[in-house]
Amino acid sequence: MKLAYYPGCVAQESGKELDMATRWVCRNLGIELVEFPNFSCCGSGFVDEANEVLNIAINVRNLAIAERAGLDMLTICSTCQGMLTLAKVRMTDPKVKARVEAALKPLGIEYRGTVQVKHLLRVLTEDIGIAAVKAKVRRPLHGMKVGAFYGCHLLRPADEMQSESAEEPHAFEDLLSAVGATPVDYRGRVMCCGFPIQFVKPSTASAIAGRQILDAKAHGADAMATPCPLCHLSLDAYQNKAAKEVHAVLDMPIFHLPQVVGLALGASPEELGLSRHLVPTDPALEKVRPAARA
Amino acid sequence: MAAETISASFDIYRYRPGKDASPRYQRYTLDLTPHTPVLTALLKIRAEVDPTLSLRYSCRSAICGSCAMQINSKSRLACETHIGPEIERHGRIVVEPMRNQPVLRDLVVDQAPFWREYDKIEPHLKLDPRHPMPEGKATAMTPAQVDRFKETPRCIACAACYSACPAVEADAEFPGPMALAKLYRFVVDPRDRATQDRLVRIQPNGLWLCLRCHLCTEACPKDVRPSERIRDLKEMAIAAQGGTETGSRHAIGFKENLKGAGQLNEMQLVRATSGLTGMLGQVGQGIRVWRKKPEILKRPRKIEGLDELEKIYAALDPPPKEEP
Repeated sequence: MKLAYYPGCVAQESGKELDMATRWVCRNLGIELVEFPNFSCCGSGFVDEANEVLNIAINVRNLAIAERAGLDMLTICSTCQGMLTLAKVRMTDPKVKARVEAALKPLGIEYRGTVQVKHLLRVLTEDIGIAAVKAKVRRPLHGMKVGAFYGCHLLRPADEMQSESAEEPHAFEDLLSAVGATPVDYRGRVMCCGFPIQFVKPSTASAIAGRQILDAKAHGADAMATPCPLCHLSLDAYQNKAAKEVHAVLDMPIFHLPQVVGLALGASPEELGLSRHLVPTDPALEKVRPAARA
Repeated sequence: MAAETISASFDIYRYRPGKDASPRYQRYTLDLTPHTPVLTALLKIRAEVDPTLSLRYSCRSAICGSCAMQINSKSRLACETHIGPEIERHGRIVVEPMRNQPVLRDLVVDQAPFWREYDKIEPHLKLDPRHPMPEGKATAMTPAQVDRFKETPRCIACAACYSACPAVEADAEFPGPMALAKLYRFVVDPRDRATQDRLVRIQPNGLWLCLRCHLCTEACPKDVRPSERIRDLKEMAIAAQGGTETGSRHAIGFKENLKGAGQLNEMQLVRATSGLTGMLGQVGQGIRVWRKKPEILKRPRKIEGLDELEKIYAALDPPPKEEP
């Protein structure tokens, strides 16, 4: 299948390893990524707070770029997925639509609303399919217990995001099982990572991240995995601060979603950029039962 | 024909602070039809099995807001949550008191923290004495004015949102979703003369601690959508005051940042939000991250079609006045 690849800002900058892993996995599962150098940032929820209609227009411009090419969009970030979907939903309000079109029409940008925005999680579990992913597994992650961490905007508000469930999703766990890992059930998996207030009040943001990591750890997770690079920043790059806030040793490896899939499909840690993580991932990789290694 | 019953196991939180050493979970198993509300099951347990079980409820019709509790970790009204889907998904029903409020006994919590935040926003109309309401027309509003309340008047103050909120859980400074949704209701009320004052006062008091995780919107049994009204308050606060707080500076800074290249410039944004001195405080963490991820210092490439983005900003920022 062929999709308009919307990597988002973080995967092109500090979260480069997410982009590397996504490209590797897509190449190996027959997903062709078409790139558009004119895509802009989605506003990350912050532009939405400052100016709602501007935020919608920025994202409608992005949607229209893919739509013009006749392609659905692939996102690899819960927040990008949320913002682009939100723009689609808000455009069904005639008043909003009129205001946005008044700004876009003079630029020759036309938007019909036919484009679909799909996160990699959905593409892997629904379009490619769990069975097809499983069939490609060369190195099942048997023995590794992984706590899925969804990221809010992939799930909520559920009526607008058209997500499988606001608080009780299972697609990510299904995918983890398919690649041989053991998913861990814990409340924190659908909670917030704290990232949106990392600048407002770092201590509170890190306390929130710390709670979710502790929760995963208490339920036996060897690692966590997230479909969102902002959650990844909060859980991995700032994990030292989270540990301080919750007064605990965390040492929790945090994978990006396509890294977990890539590992099982046979990618090397180098190809997936694992050395770019702040918290070493080796302890989790060592949990993979030797008998199952290639 | 009677509906078929299923065997439903309830693990109910039991705790008497001051008497019990620690909370415990007690299991009760009943044969019930799948459409039995959790509240009905709890009342049956209390009437037929264990009269010591404490819970709070009243109307049993999702109107009074008394029976909010955690059902399989979700903050919900027990009277409108049916057991069938819960058993199907979890194999059992774990019933716990609401979060973020101290337990008085079993499923009953002390709602004082929730009501304290509600009182703080001064949830009453502040009429301007210089503009008295015309006699007999105290509630006169146009339909368009009423529409601005959105769903907020539906709130039944059940505190399910307060229980579900991770910001409340982590930071006592955050007023919680319900108080802020209620504040929104007064800010947009055309009869209230304290709009600006309300927006000014709420800003340093936690408005920007909302994580926009939308857990409140999912927990709300009346679809009040607090997270979306909190977003509205943020935009109104920025329009009224500009970037007076770290949170508003970050939102404005992000908006301006995006206009620069069409992509985020991480370093520039940190500077816009925290200032140079704030940046200095983050040098240690910055170096830690930079050693693994050197791109954080790189300027992002400019997107193609940046002129389009500039024109969109010119047309919509600040947003043109809406037609009345």
